[in-house]
Amino acid sequence: MEIILVALKDSLSLSVKLLCIILPLTISYEFLKHKQSIIEKKHFAFLGVTHNGLVPLITGVIIGLTYGAGVIIHSIRTSSINKKECFLILLFLSMCHAIIEDTLIFVVIGANGFVLIVFRFFLAIILTYLMYRSKLLSN
Amino acid sequence: MSRIADPLPIWNLRSIKEILKTFYPTLKRGFLSGISITYNMVKVIVPFYIAIEFIKHTSFIHTISEVFKPFMSIFGLPGESALGLMAGYFINLYAAIAVITPLQLSAKDITVIALMLGVSHSLPIETAVTKQISVNAWLLLFARVVFSLISGVLLNILWKLFL
Repeated sequence: MEIILVALKDSLSLSVKLLCIILPLTISYEFLKHKQSIIEKKHFAFLGVTHNGLVPLITGVIIGLTYGAGVIIHSIRTSSINKKECFLILLFLSMCHAIIEDTLIFVVIGANGFVLIVFRFFLAIILTYLMYRSKLLSN
Repeated sequence: MSRIADPLPIWNLRSIKEILKTFYPTLKRGFLSGISITYNMVKVIVPFYIAIEFIKHTSFIHTISEVFKPFMSIFGLPGESALGLMAGYFINLYAAIAVITPLQLSAKDITVIALMLGVSHSLPIETAVTKQISVNAWLLLFARVVFSLISGVLLNILWKLFL
């Protein structure tokens, strides 16, 4: 019985710590959504991702797939993004998404956040570049 | 005689109120979604935490540890951390955290697990999301799991070399 009480107390204190991280993040996401139109205007091409694909890409990297799914699906369907670019975006996103939240919640329990961010980011860039260059994806 | 210029709007109390008024709905939406995410998270974390704390006090944890030891040693992790990895792959990161925290692993072990889970987590939900965009969702799933395992092995080696 005592075990359960201690576990309950510990798990709730862990939850409070995570709340302290999640709350500022969700508030800043909402502010970012306001500013989204600024990102859209810049012309850009990076790893086979043109400026059309940049909104879903940045949304996913910062917010994440589950929470940002609505924005991502909407912006991919409404803009003229071809299949290859779409795949590249999703490949990048599946390796490296929700980069702030995922990293911080592990930092709370003692991980090295710098290593995590750098490793994930480079893994995603290298993989996307390889797929972009490879003939596997020619339309 | 020059008139003193109007004070900057930002110092004006009325305009501060106006700024607050325009930002208030955004602030409120952010706050509410944060609360609802945390509520969903607590529903996952508390039962898992208690379950793991319970398992830790039985001999079951040694059985699990022994079974997964050969596999997890590829990543330089103790056998029982397989539970955290599974929770992260199939449920979500919060479940994984609830499982990992009571196990009291070292900073290196947590970082390796965090990287593996960061690359590949909540697979059922996120595969459903990628399927809706109708690209090759299975190829993505395969890539995520494979690169999650590869990155775990790599980080384990690199950490031993440099840190």
